[in-house]
Amino acid sequence: MTLLRDSRTLTWITVTLYWGCIVFGLTLPGVVTVTHGTYQRHGAFSEAWQEFRLDLFAPGYNLFLVGVLNAIPFIVLAVFILLHLGSAAKREPEIVSRRLIGVAGALVVAVGLSAWVHIGTTLYPDAQGALAYFFLPIYLLGLIPLGYACGRLIGKITLRAPRPRPRNSAEDGSGTESSSSRTAP
Amino acid sequence: MTRRQRGLHLVALLALIGGLGLFYWQSTGARAVPALAEALNDEDAKVRIAAAQTLAEIGSGAGAAVPGLLNQALHDRVLYAGTSAARALRNIDLIAARQVMTAYLPALNAEDVQTRRSACAMLEGLGPVARPAVPALVRALDDPSETVRIHAVGALGEIGIPATLVIPALLKALHDPARAVRQRALSQFAFSIPATEAVVPHLKQLLEDEDRGIAALALSALSSRQRQAKDPTAVYVTLLQTGNASDYALRQLAQIGPEAADTLPVLIPVLQHQRSLYRYLAAEGLGAIGPGATDAVPALIATLQDADSVVRDSAADALDAIGTPEARQAAAAHRHSEGSR
Repeated sequence: MTLLRDSRTLTWITVTLYWGCIVFGLTLPGVVTVTHGTYQRHGAFSEAWQEFRLDLFAPGYNLFLVGVLNAIPFIVLAVFILLHLGSAAKREPEIVSRRLIGVAGALVVAVGLSAWVHIGTTLYPDAQGALAYFFLPIYLLGLIPLGYACGRLIGKITLRAPRPRPRNSAEDGSGTESSSSRTAP
Repeated sequence: MTRRQRGLHLVALLALIGGLGLFYWQSTGARAVPALAEALNDEDAKVRIAAAQTLAEIGSGAGAAVPGLLNQALHDRVLYAGTSAARALRNIDLIAARQVMTAYLPALNAEDVQTRRSACAMLEGLGPVARPAVPALVRALDDPSETVRIHAVGALGEIGIPATLVIPALLKALHDPARAVRQRALSQFAFSIPATEAVVPHLKQLLEDEDRGIAALALSALSSRQRQAKDPTAVYVTLLQTGNASDYALRQLAQIGPEAADTLPVLIPVLQHQRSLYRYLAAEGLGAIGPGATDAVPALIATLQDADSVVRDSAADALDAIGTPEARQAAAAHRHSEGSR
């Protein structure tokens, strides 16, 4: 929480998440393909890489297009992260934390679903597998806000604003509890 | 983060998207041809195969790669690399594809079984462009080698035209002593050659075959015929109108023959298509329709001036098949002028 008071740290987190999100979305299909190819060839990475390069624009494979399709929801999420976290520095640390947890929820959904689909279609390929690549961005664009909402909910539950301490009646002489200074998120 | 910093990151993202677009633009279409032509000389057969397949997708815009593809089709030691090059050539340059066919035809009579098998596979790769090879492939059905007969059946199915020669040959293959040859012939009727009335009794007979695979294929072929019994051309007309799988649809129409006479309004405009393979198949289709395609005579006479000699010859054959005095006269004049050239 103290770290988030430092605007440089928050900027660093925002920029890392922003570019990480874009790079992950673009490269995930390729990484899965090359890793699977290397495993199939008992560690021959160069062969797997060459095959990936050949299939980048090859008819029937077009891994470049698959990468772009996968990247679309991640780019949308990245822009959201940049605008949402990038403008949060002046806010209360609790609000920044809740936003971060919301973003983390969105990222978990996006990364989890995308990785599951790409690993699944690579390990168990079939004729209809390519349909998954077309529907994945649509599902992701619908589920990312849901992940964010879940994250915010978790944040709201776990990061409650500290209750103000009851003041000692001897200190202020009034003998009553203060009900001020409770910050609403 | 300041507003300026956020703006800079967004601009950087736009630059990345632009860069990716540029990379895609440079790596696809006719712009990729020089790099793909270079890849045809790669030591790795997989690279050569992938390059040939991508060039086939590019089609007539890949003319610069024809020498490399011709070399690969005629001399590559890996058969699949050669057949991939042949498939690409049929989409790019019909004359070069016919050169490959001419080079491999004598190999059908070679002593070595593997050479005969490779020749069949290459002719299969050329598809309907290898139509002049059909009589030789029909003779190859009597080859003593089962492997050669299997590949000859595959080549006949892929060429598909003229149906008047191909269908009787495949019918004969349905009764081949080797089960693999019978199965290959049957799969042609199930998936690529429309079964005619003459084929139906043979298919019904095979429904009772002890081999479940053969019986299932026979059932599939009969079902396919029943589905299209009402209007055999409708699905192909739709494919042509939507611009999908045009070469497949045109070849199917050419196989249907006179029954496809109602497709003239769709076939005639294809004679002007930029892809020579489509123009060739449209001319073949009109020729297969025969006298019913009289309305196509003016368009076919215009096609006698086509830039591609294979298309011109096919148009002349179609005019002969239509048989009106005007059509015959135009075809004869074309042959005379081609002969004097």
